[in-house]
Amino acid sequence: MSDVAARELRIVGFLCNWCSYGGADTAGVSRFKQPTDLRIIRVPCSGRVDPLFIVKALLNGADGVLVSGCHPRDCHYTDGNFYARRRLEMLKRLLPFLGIDERRFHYTWISASEGGKWQQTVTDFTKRVHELGPLHAKKEATP
Amino acid sequence: MISQRLREAIAGVFSEVDVALAYQQGFDKLHATPCFMTMPEEINKLIWNPLCVHNLTSYLPSLKKKKVAVVVKGCDSRTIVQFMQEGLINRENVVIIGIPCNGVISVNKVLHETNHEPIEDITFGENGEITVKTLKGEKTLLLSDVCPDKCKTCQYPTPIVYDRLVGDPITSDKSPDSVYADIKEFENKTLEERLQYWEQEFDRCIRCYACRNACPMCICQDSCIAETRDPHWISQRATLSEKFMFHMIHALHLAGRCVECGECERACPMGIPVNKLKRKINLDMKELFGYEPGIDPEDKPPLYTFKVDEVTIKEHKI
Amino acid sequence: MRVGVFICHCGNNIAGTVDVAKVAEETRKLPGVVYATTYMYTCSEPGQEEIKKAIKNENLDRVVVSACSPRMHELTFRRTVEKAGLNRYFFEMANIREHVSWIGENKELNTNKAIEAVRMAVEKVKQNKPLYSSSFKINKRVLVIGGGVAGMQAALDCADGGLEVLLVEKSPSVGGMMARLDKTFPTIDCSICILGPKMVDVAQHDKIKLYAYSEIDEIKGYVGNYQIKIRKKATYVDWTKCTGCGTCMEKCPSKNSYDHFNFGVAPTRAINIPFPQAIPKKAKIDPDYCRQFVKGKCGVCAKVCPTKAIDYEMQDEVITEEVGAIIVSTGYSLIDIERLPEYGGGRYPDVITGIQYERILNASGPTSGHIVRPSDHVEPKTVVFVACAGSRDKSIGIPYCSNFCCMYIAKQAILTKDHVPDSQSYVFYMDIRSPGKGYDEFTRRAQEEYGVKYIRGRVSRIYPKGNKMIVKGADTLLGTQVEVEADLVVLGTAVISNSDAGHMAEKLHISYDTFGFYVESHPKLRPVETNTSGVFLAGACQGPKDIPASVCQGSAAASKVQALFSKDMLESDPAVAKVNINACVGCLKCVKTCPFQAIKEKELRDGRVVADVIETVCAGCGVCTSTCPCGAIQLQHFTDNQLLAEVNAICLT
Repeated sequence: MSDVAARELRIVGFLCNWCSYGGADTAGVSRFKQPTDLRIIRVPCSGRVDPLFIVKALLNGADGVLVSGCHPRDCHYTDGNFYARRRLEMLKRLLPFLGIDERRFHYTWISASEGGKWQQTVTDFTKRVHELGPLHAKKEATP
Repeated sequence: MISQRLREAIAGVFSEVDVALAYQQGFDKLHATPCFMTMPEEINKLIWNPLCVHNLTSYLPSLKKKKVAVVVKGCDSRTIVQFMQEGLINRENVVIIGIPCNGVISVNKVLHETNHEPIEDITFGENGEITVKTLKGEKTLLLSDVCPDKCKTCQYPTPIVYDRLVGDPITSDKSPDSVYADIKEFENKTLEERLQYWEQEFDRCIRCYACRNACPMCICQDSCIAETRDPHWISQRATLSEKFMFHMIHALHLAGRCVECGECERACPMGIPVNKLKRKINLDMKELFGYEPGIDPEDKPPLYTFKVDEVTIKEHKI
Repeated sequence: MRVGVFICHCGNNIAGTVDVAKVAEETRKLPGVVYATTYMYTCSEPGQEEIKKAIKNENLDRVVVSACSPRMHELTFRRTVEKAGLNRYFFEMANIREHVSWIGENKELNTNKAIEAVRMAVEKVKQNKPLYSSSFKINKRVLVIGGGVAGMQAALDCADGGLEVLLVEKSPSVGGMMARLDKTFPTIDCSICILGPKMVDVAQHDKIKLYAYSEIDEIKGYVGNYQIKIRKKATYVDWTKCTGCGTCMEKCPSKNSYDHFNFGVAPTRAINIPFPQAIPKKAKIDPDYCRQFVKGKCGVCAKVCPTKAIDYEMQDEVITEEVGAIIVSTGYSLIDIERLPEYGGGRYPDVITGIQYERILNASGPTSGHIVRPSDHVEPKTVVFVACAGSRDKSIGIPYCSNFCCMYIAKQAILTKDHVPDSQSYVFYMDIRSPGKGYDEFTRRAQEEYGVKYIRGRVSRIYPKGNKMIVKGADTLLGTQVEVEADLVVLGTAVISNSDAGHMAEKLHISYDTFGFYVESHPKLRPVETNTSGVFLAGACQGPKDIPASVCQGSAAASKVQALFSKDMLESDPAVAKVNINACVGCLKCVKTCPFQAIKEKELRDGRVVADVIETVCAGCGVCTSTCPCGAIQLQHFTDNQLLAEVNAICLT
């Protein structure tokens, strides 16, 4: 485990059930290889993603957070991703004010058919988080 | 005297309301305190001077079903506008007695100037000079030196909404660019410096929740998720990450709603710049959606609405 | 709490790149987990039996299956645990196939990821609450949108099964594309002869209510209970009075109206009945061309109409209807020739599209079935067909095959020879795609019996020379350049989605792909369902399709509706928002943000105002939950605590 922990960073993904979770499934079915750092939480809609979940993750050990929903206008619930877009953009701008690199948080829109885009997104985001390194290195010691 | 005219204004509407909210002298010379008047004879108690720091509108949502007259400064009036946007008050139940304001004092700053000596007396001159008497002698201060930061960049010295205005309207002579100058300056720091700054500030937090209790827009009252188990967002452990998380909850729940009245910072016993995060978000909301809280009763708080095409939000690339 | 975890090998699909035994071993160490095992195929019947047995023997009260995607088998396993006596929401899936074993190459990292995925699912399931569906009545009426062959088949099958059907068609007559075709491949049946009786059945069926020249304005509600706003567009002719005698059309002085039915092959009158077999056979005024509308005076049709049916003041009418299910059969469009500049982009009158040629071939078409070319009305002797005009061309954003062009081109080439025996046809093609029953034989007949010359290669340019069209292309089999002097060129233009397909999808809350075609629930196993319960697909709106495939899907969609309506009550999804009235402060931000107007304010007896969810209207998106500052409204099964449990399982370890 420690060997694995050394190689991987903690990346949390919030994926909407109808589009992006399906897109990740499509990537799997297509055997599109991806880095293994990401852990996926399935939510019904990107509109369900309270920005506080992202803050919680980043404050408690995550090195990166990825949120993906249906493309604007394609939301299974019509408007959910429209709300998400505003709230996630707000957070994206707030993070650097707190001293957290905004590149640790990415939000995007991926449909159930876009397995390729999913693979690319996971690969690129994981690479970027690795470039930034662990967020919590110096705090490991504190309880 | 404004105090006298204010008493007359309240007396004039007193019969229409169940309760009138204004200020009276507090437990010492340095403090005013809110007063709730239900009897006409109580009107004589009320005062008006730069000690009247409180945002009295905070009480309005809990008095939603009552007819209330309330004394508001320019900054306080934004709270009322925000309440109207969010449907938290019935405007027709509120009689707003507006007072154009040249600034109030920061009790902490005055105490700092007088080395925390007990204040024997304090008087206010016409041109913003303040005479403070302590056992050690008398000292003259300038209001502009001991006012809260919000007064230094105040854009709305005259209330935005009111039913009666007591005194002549004042136009702000402060540059609009000055409002967020401190936020922009903070953004010049490196990421590491910023994180370190917040960690130091939030580490001092004693989780007393005074900031939350003082905030007029913190509508959750006893249901605040900082203290619930369901949902269980934070534990009671006194760790930095839990303190940090509390302030993030506070900031994000105020996102695009904070009227910058500064009550949170006034109430904080630890001197944490609690308002700063919310003001940063306000700056972003202004840039993104042209939205400023508490200005137009017909506006909608930006995070409770959307546009199908958001021209200002660009897709992010990795 | 006694959690049981079942880790699936999925044959080698998971076990090949994940050490499932290790996953089970690590899982057993998790607090609350009392049982963890692996199984070859957990979804198989014996696999499900294993779960049921373990629930009994180990006294499990929560179950996690670590296998494929929950989008695949969540429902399967929910039923399994329910059969063993557990509430179906005391179940979670950890996706270690699509999200782990199939995408990661390193077994050690995969195994670690699978362990963490299981840990997340275990932490979530420990937070789960039992949820119970309530049942609600369904309205057993069905709306069919689009009256082409797929929609008519669906409507007739539903109606024959006893269901009330509303058929909404945006053009003035049902029939769709098929009504415009001359003959059908591979049998050379007369298209309207086989379609006509179906159209008449639609008109005469006492269970079918036809709204022609109407569009869908708004769709609200949910499976079993939809409210539909149908806009009956103004025809300026009172259809209750119009007998379809055609006198108005004969006398109309405005003779240059664009003929939508004939794809502009020839002009029509401003007041017209689109074609002789139209259903309903009623006249309609095109106000863009009618003199009464353009110039403000004329009134000829009103004068000659024997039943006084003309009404220039007519307005659109919006009607509200209620249905329980919707079949979408809105069909397709064809790429605009202007997008194909190498083929003239519409500048040359003698370069036409396949559907225009159908109208020229058709006995009731503008040329009465005589093949003449548009420029000079002379019978062409050399006809060139260009397959894949726009299809399979990434450069214009259409990488897909349009499905039926190969076949209709063969048919049109055969018919050309029939009509003009001394003619010669050429077909430029990329591949001949003829996989249907009797299809390949048909394309061979075109070549062998009718002497159609097939040239494998793309056409690079078409340009005029005198009164001929020069078609320049490559013959990739011979490796030479080819030039054909043609009298007429017919383009097999690409099938595209309707321009308003996206808007319609948004009204229906269904997904569409990059090309505007509607997305089915599963490409193999749920080809007519959508991800929105109660909405089904039929015909080419889902992707290019020929007539038999469209008819099949129409019938299939109808059978899905019949199955849905076989019950009187439907079970509601209990994963909806729920208000904790003790925590709710009545700020009603949830009411303002709910995309479904599913939250109302409610006054409690003590006078406090709180939010109240209408369970059957709530669709379960959770926008309210992320809006509520005090956590008082929680989307069941995706509550803050449940998601926090997952976040903590990832982060706090």
